[in-house]
Amino acid sequence: MAVESELSQDGKLTIRVKGRFDFGRHMEFRGSYERLQSVPRCVVVDLKEATYLDSSALGMLLLLRDHMGGDKSQVSMVNVGSDVRKILAISNFDKLFDIS
Amino acid sequence: MSDNHIDRKVLSDLQEVMEDGYLYLLETFLSDSEERLSQLHEAKDAEELGLAAHSFKGSTGNMGAMVLAELCQQLEERVKQRPLYGIEDLINRIDREYAAVRQLYCAERQRILIG
Amino acid sequence: MSSQDVLTVLIAEDSATDRLLLAAIVQKQGHQVLMAENGEQAVALFAAQRPHLVLLDALMPVMDGFEAARTIKLLAGETLVPVIFLTSLSEEEALVRCLEAGGDDFLAKPYSQVILAAKIKAMERMRRLQATVLEQRDQLAHHHRHLLNEQRVAKAVFDKVAHAGCLDSPNIRFLQSPYALFNGDLMLAAFTPSGDMHVLLGDFTGHGLPAAVGAMPLAEVFYGMTAKGYGLAETLREMNAKLKRILPVDMFCCAVLLNVSFQRRTVEVWNGGMPDAYLLRATGGEPLPLVSHFLPLGVLPPEQFDDHTQVVPMAVGDRLFLLSDGVVDTRDENEQLFGAERLRQVLIANQVPGQLFEDIQAALAHFGGQPRDDVSMMDLCMVESHALSLPPLTYTDSGQSSPLDWSLHLEFRAESLKRFNPLPFLLHLLQEIHGLRVRSGELHSVLSELYSNALEHGVLALDSRLKRDACGFTEYYRERNRRLQALQEGYIRVGLQVEPLASGGRLTIEVEDSGAGFDVESVLGCSRAGQGFFGRGLSLIRGLSQQAQWLDGGRRACVVFVWVSEA
Repeated sequence: MAVESELSQDGKLTIRVKGRFDFGRHMEFRGSYERLQSVPRCVVVDLKEATYLDSSALGMLLLLRDHMGGDKSQVSMVNVGSDVRKILAISNFDKLFDIS
Repeated sequence: MSDNHIDRKVLSDLQEVMEDGYLYLLETFLSDSEERLSQLHEAKDAEELGLAAHSFKGSTGNMGAMVLAELCQQLEERVKQRPLYGIEDLINRIDREYAAVRQLYCAERQRILIG
Repeated sequence: MSSQDVLTVLIAEDSATDRLLLAAIVQKQGHQVLMAENGEQAVALFAAQRPHLVLLDALMPVMDGFEAARTIKLLAGETLVPVIFLTSLSEEEALVRCLEAGGDDFLAKPYSQVILAAKIKAMERMRRLQATVLEQRDQLAHHHRHLLNEQRVAKAVFDKVAHAGCLDSPNIRFLQSPYALFNGDLMLAAFTPSGDMHVLLGDFTGHGLPAAVGAMPLAEVFYGMTAKGYGLAETLREMNAKLKRILPVDMFCCAVLLNVSFQRRTVEVWNGGMPDAYLLRATGGEPLPLVSHFLPLGVLPPEQFDDHTQVVPMAVGDRLFLLSDGVVDTRDENEQLFGAERLRQVLIANQVPGQLFEDIQAALAHFGGQPRDDVSMMDLCMVESHALSLPPLTYTDSGQSSPLDWSLHLEFRAESLKRFNPLPFLLHLLQEIHGLRVRSGELHSVLSELYSNALEHGVLALDSRLKRDACGFTEYYRERNRRLQALQEGYIRVGLQVEPLASGGRLTIEVEDSGAGFDVESVLGCSRAGQGFFGRGLSLIRGLSQQAQWLDGGRRACVVFVWVSEA
């Protein structure tokens, strides 16, 4: 599985994306939060093993943000490597997501 | 006449498959066979002889005449080896075997005709 | 057995006995039978009746089974017609001949009902599978042709829209894949009424039709608002709002937008999500990156959208280089990115400006990246304003009913000054004056100058001396934005007066602001020496109008246009 997810007791959903994060991950990525019974309290997208991120991945992140309540959402990205960080910086997604 | 000339099981299967056509099959086989035999005798070369033997082998096999089919098989193999010396002997054996089975098929036809 | 399970089976066999028996077996399984005594008859029957399955004796008179099989397979074409050889052939060589002739299976004599039934079933499965595959292939091919045609039509429509602009201007070079529309790459350029050039390089999320659908509304807003004289900020806001409204959440458009003013020699830039664009000085040196500071278009709701632009002075011969991510995102076999640094090296090393694209493509090829079909590049040169010929404006009415004796006074107060650009509205009004239509570019330039002078130096009290150098330029516009956002009071009054004259008419434009005014004599005196950007603006106004004067200590500008009637 290129996308793994885990829901903690206190309602924190962690989504780990491995390898290329592109349109091929679309179904898995959406499924990881849409199949849950209720909207989690917050989501952490772990990009430790993500090697690349394209514009459709950015679109998926926007979908997740929307699902989590838009401006009120709590979505953060962790373990962001330098290549991926550059892509997020160019598109200024740090204005929408907490990136560390 | 010993029954090992014809496989009776084959005949009963044929009757089952052919149903009302069984009689016609027997008659076709008998007239077909006369033709094959004359082809065997009138063959101008080894190839014609081989073809006739091959064809006769096929229909006799299907009709359950196992000894006759075996003899045709031998003939088909034999014509591939030159010289053809002694081949008349094999054809004669086929003639004799056919004469034997012909009676059996005629009897079978008679049995069906009487019903 | 349902009717579609009933097959037509051709039996070719020279032995009457075997033929009869085989026919009986096949019929007993519920199929229809065609019978042939030799290969020639078999071929003729096949051609006439197209049976589903063929049982062929190998050795037959007239035409043997091998030749018949070959002919039948040829006639069948792509349709799979299984051929089962009936044979008691035992030698390998003969079996190979059967396969080579196109045989799909063998049936040995004496015939077994059970085996024959199983073989017919197996062949039928194969035949149906092949038929399904062919049908699906044809459907795919049909859909593909359909799609290609739709793309062709979409591209033709789109090209009409895209090429309505001025990408063909002599100061622009660009490179774009013919399929750019379907990569989501978009390149637009158009003149504003005052002769500035608006340029957009955009990149929609994804590929194919979804990437292409957003392009039309974006182009429509771009061309429509540019032609009406709207500035970058308003155009950006409208494009963002439109895309946000029509696109699904996960779709957006990265874009870099430019307003290149050949009169003022400036470029105004907004970059949301595109790779760095570059300003390349004619004098060489380090390329100045024009960095993405904003989220792409279509992400943020209108109230959160940031339309701040950056203004940079340019000299004649300076160039702007824009590119899509296809360049920097090209990867070599080790998944290594070409990256911005390699691009920067190429930009510095470039000797012949006209060879820049070729230099970049050579560098990409040398890097060993997979060639991509989504590499878009544009190179735009700052030229003297008279070097470009503006397209003639088109009007929707004859002008016969133009009013010729009217005046109008407007006052724009703080809240309006913050958000509203009155220039398109004013220009639209002045288009009603038929005699001035041929000069609407000049009118727009003069109005723009008067308005921005009144706003920046009057209401916002900015000192144009800040704009001495590039650094001060940036500072000037940062301060302009800051003061405009904080504006509580102040006004700009615009008065338009149109009077008929004996042979034509006169337009008087008055622009008055709430600022402190300026020392008219010294500034105008300075402008004669051609120094300072403020001075340049004033001399532009004087050059384009019949009469221009500054009254009330520089707080009120009064400009006159006179025209002579053509009739």
